[in-house]
Amino acid sequence: MAQLNLNIITPSKIIFSGEVYSVTVPGTDGNFQILKNHAPIISTLEIGLIKIELPDGSTEFFATGGGTVEVINNKITLLADSVEKSNEIDPDRARAALNRAKQRLAEKINDKTIDVARAQAASARALNRLNIYEKYLRGTEVKH
Amino acid sequence: MATLRDIKTRIKGVQNTQQITNAMKMVAAAKLRRAQENVVNARPYANQISVLLSHLSAENDITQNPFTAERQVKSAAVVIVSADRGLCGAFNTNLIKETVRYITEELNSKDIKAQLFCIGKKGYDYFNKRNYTIVGKQTGIFSALGYNSAAGISQELIRGYTDGNFDKVIIIYNEFKSVINQRIVVEQFLPIPIKKESEGDKKIKSDYILEPDLGYIFNYLPSKHLKAQIWRILLESNAAELGARMTAMDNATTNAKELIRTLRIKYNKERQAAITKEILEIVSGANALKAE
Repeated sequence: MAQLNLNIITPSKIIFSGEVYSVTVPGTDGNFQILKNHAPIISTLEIGLIKIELPDGSTEFFATGGGTVEVINNKITLLADSVEKSNEIDPDRARAALNRAKQRLAEKINDKTIDVARAQAASARALNRLNIYEKYLRGTEVKH
Repeated sequence: MATLRDIKTRIKGVQNTQQITNAMKMVAAAKLRRAQENVVNARPYANQISVLLSHLSAENDITQNPFTAERQVKSAAVVIVSADRGLCGAFNTNLIKETVRYITEELNSKDIKAQLFCIGKKGYDYFNKRNYTIVGKQTGIFSALGYNSAAGISQELIRGYTDGNFDKVIIIYNEFKSVINQRIVVEQFLPIPIKKESEGDKKIKSDYILEPDLGYIFNYLPSKHLKAQIWRILLESNAAELGARMTAMDNATTNAKELIRTLRIKYNKERQAAITKEILEIVSGANALKAE
């Protein structure tokens, strides 16, 4: 029987490579789960959570900053700019990034050079990291 | 005729040089290990994203996409990725030679205007002194290489391309093959060359589901692809440079060692000659006294 194989690749390294039972990804049209024998699909991903169920029944959670996923012949290739495993997220760094982005958004009224879209994306990414960190490491979701 | 003292100073001088080249070799070797790791880590992403593009284009008509559509080429941008520093053997020289050859043979002969975009100080210095059009430069980025510098460069190139300043972008860089081996690569950057499925691949139409739709994905992918390629190329060139420098400095150190050896033999011979001469003088002096 063919197995379902997943590769999560970022520009700086291969984050995950191996056999999985299922993967849930934050598609642009909504979250979806990929199981074995999924039809070929190419989808873009939004900022959000990647959930992997391993064949031994355990689950792993990753924060992503958006990217693409391709499924073909039980091979999943997930390309993303940034992917972090829930237990490798640095909450202090994420919080600092969030504050920085918020500050930039607050300054935008006076400063026309600020790239609003970029600051918003940065803030969303940081918030996503924090949420995933809080949820899957401490069991609580933070409200902002 | 070199005196003993002259030879001694020479030896000292060569020794100093040897120390420096050896230190540079060590530094390059230490940096190389990291750079090599980075290249190896960056390659899968860059490869996969171009595979994804080729899968997409195998089933969908993308000739109308601004990033992949071929235009009539009136002017081309040539991106040359050189090093910021010298003392790395023929690394920069070969690259510049290849660039000049490319511009004269492939572009100027076909009446295509060449515009240079120089990454790295050495390439910029060379072309700036001569009569070339330089549209952009990025120097000093290799000391602190980040994904952001790659993003900036690819954005600048994409802007120039979409604004119609040039109809084609070519990148010339050193690819990292191994520590002692670099290969100069001339690669088309824009329009994006789509790899044809190789013979080994099964040619099954897989009828991808596209989410949200082709237009959206094709808005998103090319810029990611280009950024990843630039990033990979910068890392390749950086690792290749360090490898070239390490080899060059290793050679220099070996040469210095050899030079010191010959100088030392010469020194010893001179010294022995001087001693023999002195003894001869004393003996003949003593003999002269005895004779009287």
